[in-house]
Amino acid sequence: MKILLIEDDEATAAFVRSEMAEAGHDVAFAPDGPSGLSLALAGGHDVAIVDRMLPGLDGLALTRRLRAARVRTPLLFLTTMSGIDDRVEGLEAGADDYLVKPFAFAELLARVNALARRPPISAIVTVLRAADLEMDLMARTVRRAGRSIDLQPREFQLLEFLMRNAGALVTRRQLLENVWDFHFDPKTNIVETHMSRLRAKVDRDFDCWLIETVRGSGYILRGLSG
Amino acid sequence: MASLGKLLRSAGFRFALLYTAAFVLSVAALGFLVEIALTTTLREQAQHRIDAEVGALVDEFVHGGRVDLDVALAGRFARGGGRLSHAIVEVDGRVGVGNPDLAALAGSADTSARPVSAAGGRKLARPLIAATRRLGDGTKLVVADDLQGIKEVTAILNRAFAIALMASIVFGLGLGLVVSRRLLARVDAVTRTAEAIIAGDLGRRIALSGSGDDFDRLSRTLNRMLDRISGLMENLRQVTNDVAHDLRTPLTRLQHGLLTSGKQASTVGEYRASIDRAVLEIDEILTIFTALLRIAQIEAGARRAGFRSIDLSDVLRTVGEAYAPGIEDGGRRVRYAIEPDLRIDGDRELLVQLFANLIENALHYTPPGATISLELARSGAGVVAAVADDGPGIDVAERDKVLRRFYRVEKSRGTKGHGLGLPLVAAVAELHAAILTLSDNRPGLRAAVSFPAPA
Repeated sequence: MKILLIEDDEATAAFVRSEMAEAGHDVAFAPDGPSGLSLALAGGHDVAIVDRMLPGLDGLALTRRLRAARVRTPLLFLTTMSGIDDRVEGLEAGADDYLVKPFAFAELLARVNALARRPPISAIVTVLRAADLEMDLMARTVRRAGRSIDLQPREFQLLEFLMRNAGALVTRRQLLENVWDFHFDPKTNIVETHMSRLRAKVDRDFDCWLIETVRGSGYILRGLSG
Repeated sequence: MASLGKLLRSAGFRFALLYTAAFVLSVAALGFLVEIALTTTLREQAQHRIDAEVGALVDEFVHGGRVDLDVALAGRFARGGGRLSHAIVEVDGRVGVGNPDLAALAGSADTSARPVSAAGGRKLARPLIAATRRLGDGTKLVVADDLQGIKEVTAILNRAFAIALMASIVFGLGLGLVVSRRLLARVDAVTRTAEAIIAGDLGRRIALSGSGDDFDRLSRTLNRMLDRISGLMENLRQVTNDVAHDLRTPLTRLQHGLLTSGKQASTVGEYRASIDRAVLEIDEILTIFTALLRIAQIEAGARRAGFRSIDLSDVLRTVGEAYAPGIEDGGRRVRYAIEPDLRIDGDRELLVQLFANLIENALHYTPPGATISLELARSGAGVVAAVADDGPGIDVAERDKVLRRFYRVEKSRGTKGHGLGLPLVAAVAELHAAILTLSDNRPGLRAAVSFPAPA
């Protein structure tokens, strides 16, 4: 995957570049706003990671210019922790996701993967498939190996998010934000308890377990998506 | 002197000065117009009087000849007091009867009454109004008025206007001084308060006069602004203190842990374990830091601009359902008593966190077997949301303290948590102009948030 990183903090940039390279991705890098903008305008990247505070041209302005120029590269915003409103502002400027510093690299990678996999808006998907699991988004039904599985609405959303990102790591925080719209860190195991109920319905009666826990990071739904 | 200079430069005095000048100019213009009108009228009256006198004397001459005329004139001279002067110029040019000064006015032609300033090529000592008439016997009758009366009247008028002008200047400037001194005193009071605040006395506020005038209104607004600013500063000070005091503990723990393992660890496994511990400590520090900043930011109130109409019933139910499996897995029960479709103006994200914190609190401080109730009901024009449990509750003495940052109920020390959950709830409630009350649920704790009616 080709990733564009626009980040002025040397330590963070070096860390992200080496980890991304290890994960097998190409990283184009710009240390400030103007050079980042020209790289981004040139296009050809699968995902752009943009720091909020940049010399020359800040991340918000850069994102707005990029979107004004009709560059649709999926864009992830990196910011320092303080601002509650930063997320809203970033998303309104045209960013697709948002991550607060400091972050675990696994979290960043999971989000970058999710952004890269996001289907174009024009593609309307009505059925998701992973291994022998099949989800009908219109009828709101789930079947595994032909057997119908009865899910609560929230469990359905949880499984849908996993299936859209099948084969890739999905973090707890991604699930909290996307399934529950929770933008804080609860001190209770919300995701874990819901996941164990979902798993009981999806995996218990089958030999092959599809939902795999990655300790300390999140979950992976095994099997290629359809 | 300096204070007089300040007074004279003050906006109030300048305004009074300008006003007085305008008043004086208009009084002067009025005086000028009155004088012109008056002199014109008086002169016309004098002309009529002269013409009438000439007519009467000519009548005497026509009916009684020179004798009667002389008798009539003699009578006039004897009475005296009249303003008119008369003369009869004989054929040889001498004045036969009357004022000899009028000889020069006896020109060849008859004239009715008119102003005369020169006669016979010489300028007169003072201008006159005069009429001449040739009589049947070749002599000439001259009747004149020296305008002295008009001059006296205008002099009186001018004096009256001058006095009025002086009075209005003195009165205007005096009033200007008094008014501007009073305004200046009010401005000085505001300035002194501001200077005191700049100098560090942040509690000072502008005194109100109690009259409810513009200055009071301005002062009240300024005082409210000062309250707001000092609230924000207090907030900032508190955050700085909290960060300084309460992050020091975990940071010290981290430092000790790293120093110890630096000395004692020898295997890769031991190093790795100490790094893992350090990462956990840092996570905890970051959590506290984030929570503190979040509380501070909420308390600053900047988010109120983003308020929208929120379905509070939906928010409480969503949060409840998110936590329900965890609550039930721990052997506790959830009870819902949520009226549907209750809306308030607010920030959804923060309200989610408010309910989440209350539920986590209930979960944290109750034993297995407890029931946690989520309630939402209309109350008057507003809405009351409550999270109640039937656990051990909080002592009355501790109820206020738990809203303070980092305060943790004594019996719960040693359990997980950093004491920022309820202060955040309080901050979010405050932002929504809602009232948070902790009460005895008999048994247990009932945390209720009363939201006001949407605006």
